[in-house]
Amino acid sequence: MLQMTRAMSEADEAPRRAAPVALLAPLLAVVLLAAAAPAAPGAPPAGPAATTPAAAASAPAPPAAEANSPLATSSAAAESSPDTRGLDQEIQDLKKDVVDLNRDLFILEEELLFPANTQVAVFLSVDVGQFFGLDSVQLKIDRKEVINYLYTPREVEALLKGGVQRLYLGNLKVGGHELVAFFNGKGPNERAYKRGASLRFEKGVGAKYLELKIDDRQKKLQPEFEIKDWE
Amino acid sequence: MSWQRPNHPVWREVALRWLCLAVMALGCSLAVQAELPYALIGQSAPDFALRAAVGGNARLSEHRGEVVVLSFWSSRCTPCRTQLAALNRSLTTYHSAGLAMFGIGVDDDPAQARDFARSASVSFALLLDPAKGVSRSYQVDNLPMTVLIDRSGTVRTVLRDYSPENEQLYLQQLRALLNE
Repeated sequence: MLQMTRAMSEADEAPRRAAPVALLAPLLAVVLLAAAAPAAPGAPPAGPAATTPAAAASAPAPPAAEANSPLATSSAAAESSPDTRGLDQEIQDLKKDVVDLNRDLFILEEELLFPANTQVAVFLSVDVGQFFGLDSVQLKIDRKEVINYLYTPREVEALLKGGVQRLYLGNLKVGGHELVAFFNGKGPNERAYKRGASLRFEKGVGAKYLELKIDDRQKKLQPEFEIKDWE
Repeated sequence: MSWQRPNHPVWREVALRWLCLAVMALGCSLAVQAELPYALIGQSAPDFALRAAVGGNARLSEHRGEVVVLSFWSSRCTPCRTQLAALNRSLTTYHSAGLAMFGIGVDDDPAQARDFARSASVSFALLLDPAKGVSRSYQVDNLPMTVLIDRSGTVRTVLRDYSPENEQLYLQQLRALLNE
């Protein structure tokens, strides 16, 4: 019985020693890779493999077998990565400069080709506002949404005090166009309220001013939405 | 082949070691995530206008001149509730010093976010961002996430997690911004 127990314990001991080593090796490698990969840019490299890039740089080119080894690959990557990052940063900065320049040129072109006195401007005003609490306005010109504006309580208050907001300023071709405005908010009895108003207008060579007016219709106890064309 | 039994001590030991290593790996990844740089630091805070779950709409640019705290939350995030309560305490203390605070919910379902907002008893506006346009512009990669914006509208600090230590750090940063 004692012999059998001893034999069993010897048989158990072998996998006890072998199994953890076999299982832990790949996991350890994964953990080390995970810790090494997201290192901060410019941070000093850690570990013996990464401490010798200078020596590797000064040494002659390694043989192919050595260069293909994982250690050599990681060392080369550690050596070249700061340069690559710097180059990437420069490229990104350059791209940003190009985009900024393009935007400035576009604005300049718009200003030259379409000066303010030939544009279309849409304004919004609210009178009284007893039956309608403004929440948002969606504006479409020729079935294309040009703005969707969300109002804060402060902005609504300013409009109720007589403020007029320039909702949209843009360029349109000379000719006929259609403007559609959707007003969202709270109507009588604090109910969700959505109404639309539309206007067909003719755009000439000069500037065009349109006004969205929100008014109270006392007789019907309902708000009224109107689009006025300022000639 | 008796050592292959799952309840054998060898396997228990192996499983325990795996678990320890997994915990260590998770800790490492979290530490690395906590140290990730935030690209908006020192940049102008992206403006937004959002509907509130309860109350009126809010626009960030209206609060230029105030120190603004943005806290990104979700109804599924348990620490978010604790953090919102902690932020509410700081708002009560520093509101008179020029502090404005907004919670921005990133839930897909606005109804769920509204339920959460009603149950969270905070005195600041909890806004809804179901389209996640604002969350994208603020590069939200963790919840809860808190962004501190100074009086000139520049992003100054980001806190990517909530813990008592983080709360102390948040209060230090907040006091510094309020004193500027």
